[in-house]
Amino acid sequence: MTNIIETWNLTKHYQQGKLRVDALCGVNIKLPSQAFTALLGPSGSGKSTLLNICGLIDNPSQGTIHFCGENITHASEERLTTIRRNKLGFIFQGFNLVPVMSVYDNIEYPLILLGVNKKLRRERVKTMLETVGLSTFEKHLPDQVSGGQKQRVAIARALITQPKLVIADEPTANLDTQTATDIINLMHKMHNDFNTAFIIATHDDRMSANCNTAYQLHDGVLQ
Amino acid sequence: MKWLTLAAKNVLRNRRRALVTLLITAIGVAAILIGGGFANFTYVSLKEMAARSSGHLIIAHQDYFDKEENTPMEHGLSDYKTLAKKLKSDKDIRYVVPTLEFTGLISNGDKSTIFMGSGVEPKYEFKVKGPFITIDDGSILSRREKENYPKVMLGKKLASSLNAQVNDSLTLLSTTTEGSLNAMDVTVQGIFTTGIPELDKRSIIVNINTAQSLLITNKVSRMGVHLRETETTFLKYDEYTEKYTEVAWKTWLDTAFFYLGVKNLYNRVFGLLGVIIIMMVFFSLYNTVTMSVVERIREIGTLRAMGTYSNEITRNFVLEGVVISLVGVGIGVVISALTSLGLSMADIQMPPPPGRTSSYPLAIDIPANLYLITATVVTAVCLVAAWLSSYKAAKKSIVGALSHV
Repeated sequence: MTNIIETWNLTKHYQQGKLRVDALCGVNIKLPSQAFTALLGPSGSGKSTLLNICGLIDNPSQGTIHFCGENITHASEERLTTIRRNKLGFIFQGFNLVPVMSVYDNIEYPLILLGVNKKLRRERVKTMLETVGLSTFEKHLPDQVSGGQKQRVAIARALITQPKLVIADEPTANLDTQTATDIINLMHKMHNDFNTAFIIATHDDRMSANCNTAYQLHDGVLQ
Repeated sequence: MKWLTLAAKNVLRNRRRALVTLLITAIGVAAILIGGGFANFTYVSLKEMAARSSGHLIIAHQDYFDKEENTPMEHGLSDYKTLAKKLKSDKDIRYVVPTLEFTGLISNGDKSTIFMGSGVEPKYEFKVKGPFITIDDGSILSRREKENYPKVMLGKKLASSLNAQVNDSLTLLSTTTEGSLNAMDVTVQGIFTTGIPELDKRSIIVNINTAQSLLITNKVSRMGVHLRETETTFLKYDEYTEKYTEVAWKTWLDTAFFYLGVKNLYNRVFGLLGVIIIMMVFFSLYNTVTMSVVERIREIGTLRAMGTYSNEITRNFVLEGVVISLVGVGIGVVISALTSLGLSMADIQMPPPPGRTSSYPLAIDIPANLYLITATVVTAVCLVAAWLSSYKAAKKSIVGALSHV
């Protein structure tokens, strides 16, 4: 079975003035298509950098990365955008919903990018709203719903296109304990329902406990 | 439509800023349209005046326009009646009006002064002059004048200089075509004003037969061809210059020096104002979109991460520019149209232009082409401003955009 993500000797370094910061040092990972993977490590360990590279929004300094079997190490920005549009979903710590769009419109947006017709979009968004328990909030603006509900919208938006992989960066960090538990359960359910791989950067032990794989990073090195 | 709705929602994120930009765009558009409408009214009026004064097309002897005459009517048109008859058969021609220009002395017995005379066919002359000649006293020349009782119309200042009234008798003295002097007694039929003091001081109008008798000639200086439609002038010019090669042809534009001077001046003045206003609109919109872009960098990063191409991000900002420009232009057009109508109906008199004595009513045209061009240019300027201010942000690194605070 093809891995969603496969990396070899992945390195990423930044230049901060005259100082060179090695964010990732020779990282090799293989992320199977059924993965529900946690990325663990203290702040500054390189979790976000690895997540960004896996999410195709950042490029490695060295090494090779394959996405669904395709070597995308030197792929053009346009190609990477196309892959993100078709095969990736993102869940952010700060939700990152578009404030002028309603809950419905936020979830619908990725389908518009894919050119799905209006009728089919409506069906899929309605179903998704039911799945995440937000049917009665479809016309609300993000400002008019709670933090937990916002993250549900973000999850729905990430999964509406049925992507191969969802990248989640600290999805429970801004939520209270009960809401965080609900979100973890929802993500786990969605992983099972949609057969979508998840890679989740987290500090939350309950989240990592629900994952079937966990990578531990320390100073850019995979432990 | 979905994108346009999203753009409208984004424009309304900061209502006060959007309102200021809309107002600047609307007032800028209105200023351009009102200024342009006034200039257009002036052009049309001057064009009309020039065409009515000389005719849309002017026919003369081959040497009339280029060479000086040694004796009066040396370069006059001789068989002008035959040519006029041929031309009148063209249904696009309204009138063919001959004119004989001559100069000389006019006297009341006590005082003599120089005059510039026009021999005209009253049947057509006063129809084509229309509002551009005003009768102050008496009446216009009669179509059928008794041969022994020639009449004259005097410019207002000339009449005043000679202390002449209607029905007074005056004497005209001029050089004939053979170089001798000839005199003729005439009776004042009317006193007119052209609105140009220099002309009113020297002008007289007589029947063309009177002028020909005075100069002892059967020629005329030129003929003015008055078309039904001014727009056909150059088409007809091309047609007639090929057909009637024995005479020289000019269009009204060739002799409309005042019209060309005013148009040249107004084009520069209003053109410069237009450029300044457009620049204001450009910088206003550029500033608005730039601020909007800076506030939404994180959102741009999110949308890019989700698979939105950078050109789609730019397009969304350009659509916001479209929304602002369309609404601004719409409001500007309404303000301009209402103001133009209001000012035109208010009967406001403008002060006389330089070299003129009479004021004229302020009117502002609403020319469709000016409205269309202005709307297109302002919209295009808004699009360019929106594109310039969002292009770089859309290309920014996604990671950098997502971490933007």
